[in-house]
Amino acid sequence: MKYKNRLGLVVPYLYIMPAILIVTLIIVFPVVNIIVNSFFTTVGGKEVWFGINNYIMIFKDDLFWTSILNNLRLFASIPFITVFAILIAALLYDKILGWHFYQSIIFTPYILAIPVVGIVFSYILQYKGVLNTLLASIGCESLVKDWLGTPKLAIWSIVAVVVWKQIGFGVVLFLARLGSVPPVLYEAATVDGAGWWKKLIHVTLPQLATTIEFFIIINIINMLSWVFDFVFVMTGGGPVNSTYVMEYFIYQKAFAGSLVNMGEAAGVIVLIFAICIIAAESIIRKRLEDFQ
Amino acid sequence: MRKLLVLLLVLMTAVSSTACGGNSDDNQISSKNGQTTLKIWYWGEQEAPGMKSFIDKAAEVYMKENTNIKVDAVLQESDTLYSAFRSAAKAKQGPDIQYFWGGTQALEDVWMGNVAPLSDYWSKEDIDNLPLAQRSETYWDGKQWCMPFYQYGSVWGYNKELFAKAGLDANNPPRTWEEFMTTCEALKKAGITPIGMGLKDGYFGGWIISLLGQQNMNTKQELVDLIKGSDNKSYTDPENYEWITKLKEMKDKGYFNTDIMSLDLYQGQQLFDSGEAAMTINAEPYLAQLERKEGADKIGIMRTPSFGEGKMADSVGIPSQVLAITSFSKNKEEAAKFLKFLHTEDMMKLMYQEAGAVTPDKRFKDEWLNTEVDKQIMAWSKGNPEFWYQYFYPFGFESSGVNPIVQKLFAVDLAPEEAAKEFQDALKKWKNQNPELLTAFEKWKVLE
Repeated sequence: MKYKNRLGLVVPYLYIMPAILIVTLIIVFPVVNIIVNSFFTTVGGKEVWFGINNYIMIFKDDLFWTSILNNLRLFASIPFITVFAILIAALLYDKILGWHFYQSIIFTPYILAIPVVGIVFSYILQYKGVLNTLLASIGCESLVKDWLGTPKLAIWSIVAVVVWKQIGFGVVLFLARLGSVPPVLYEAATVDGAGWWKKLIHVTLPQLATTIEFFIIINIINMLSWVFDFVFVMTGGGPVNSTYVMEYFIYQKAFAGSLVNMGEAAGVIVLIFAICIIAAESIIRKRLEDFQ
Repeated sequence: MRKLLVLLLVLMTAVSSTACGGNSDDNQISSKNGQTTLKIWYWGEQEAPGMKSFIDKAAEVYMKENTNIKVDAVLQESDTLYSAFRSAAKAKQGPDIQYFWGGTQALEDVWMGNVAPLSDYWSKEDIDNLPLAQRSETYWDGKQWCMPFYQYGSVWGYNKELFAKAGLDANNPPRTWEEFMTTCEALKKAGITPIGMGLKDGYFGGWIISLLGQQNMNTKQELVDLIKGSDNKSYTDPENYEWITKLKEMKDKGYFNTDIMSLDLYQGQQLFDSGEAAMTINAEPYLAQLERKEGADKIGIMRTPSFGEGKMADSVGIPSQVLAITSFSKNKEEAAKFLKFLHTEDMMKLMYQEAGAVTPDKRFKDEWLNTEVDKQIMAWSKGNPEFWYQYFYPFGFESSGVNPIVQKLFAVDLAPEEAAKEFQDALKKWKNQNPELLTAFEKWKVLE
């Protein structure tokens, strides 16, 4: 009996053992490996203990701070993406004429491959590209700029392309959630005399709260770990290193600059950054739930 | 229950062996059925169109002559040429022969331990067939590390028709800096963009420093000493940044295409191909192909006009791209033999025929050349010193220093003195971040 009881305690762990093993091999092991490697350097093909020197060099590197700043600039686009996506979703939810068509059009950028988007916009935003030709043709010569060739403008040009691509995802996500909102809520609001804006603020937004939260978190993670392709294709980190983001910084250090361990240390910093953001979001959400 | 436990144990063992025990020893794969597979990762189609065709044909011939060898050649992309190789090198699995851009761009992998010395596998007689200028680019610590694969004389191409249209003597391109400025001004006045170039990807930085930067130097070693900081040499010394002054002069006078910052290098060079710019900088194989297409009446080449006072003011850049045997290859002898095969007369002829690329080899005969571009560059190589600046400074210094600073010169109003200071700062940063490479670099005595 005793033996059976003991076995009963062990068996559940055995059931989950394969999953634990797989997770350990494909997630835990690489992460631990990267953390350990970040304290080493490579000399003559051999790993040598380097302490926290990789981290010190990263913090002293002005490109690291440029990258962080650019990631923060990308974060700044999230409120715009969210607000526009909610507004468009709310408009489409009213089933305006041709809403199916608009929905497809708006969602299309999201399904396009990033390199394709990057290359197309590289041409559109060239100094002699489509955008400037259009601006000049309608008499707006003063707005003609070298969108990707001017250090102060390049990162914002990338932000604009990212916003363009991401809005579609938000619209579809919010529309899907709105589809499950009981119509009676809107009917009651109409009976109470609420207009479009009041319904948006008092019915739509509260109903979308959890979806908005999910969308924002997804976007924060995206802006930290998904923008590499845009930068790589559209600007290559330039001009004058003005469009470096953390992913590109890691790539440059680890591969182009042959400082693999330093790249791994930068990866650890991004990981810590991401964990902090997710932890902060959890705390805020918990407090909001408690408050409600 | 026992059955379940056994099942779980079997599953765990299977998962562990799949993940950890995937024995992928290259040698086992590459020597299957008594046949050795030589893996080659190469590049070159971009600057020598037809390179893929050459490699495919060469491999076919080699496999016919050596039935125990299978040549598996894979063309690489520019952006992944180094990153893919370094990932492979870290895992000690990958090609037997790797293509590198020459000079330090190959030597850095030597210093990282990714390359086996060519001179350990080739006889002295074989090595002596390689021209000294190209040998010196990958000669380090008493050994020849890489095999010069093809040379790419990097010169100015000019459009003779546009020169004539601007009232210039198309058969006598400018030789001095003053003449060059006069030429650019005449072209500009005639409504022609003097120089077509792209700077968005930054690569122009490495080209322009190589064409202008060496003009106050007497030897290649002087550049290596500048990088080392020997005798307090610095980029802020006027003779070491005079080239920046010249570049800024060209930019300020509007001699480049206005969209230079939003075009990549190749896109900028194509302005010359399409007749939208009168001059550009490009590589020998590409210009030779252009001459074949457009005719020698239209396409001409010239050396960089001189302004400097060093012996290298009249130098010509004829660097070579290289092939190297990887340190982790299990087939080094076979790889060395294949490399030697690429320098046989038939293969040198075939590469020139397919890709218009000249093999840097003393046995390469002038009479094989069929374009004025190639003949002219060959003549310059015999009468002038050869120096390609980019090959003698650290690779990392280019991506984090040279390229962004040259971009900055075009993007904002940056004084040459400030740019020179930024060069020195970028060099200092590279030294701080790369102590191991710096140690290797400091051992470098250039073969001259």
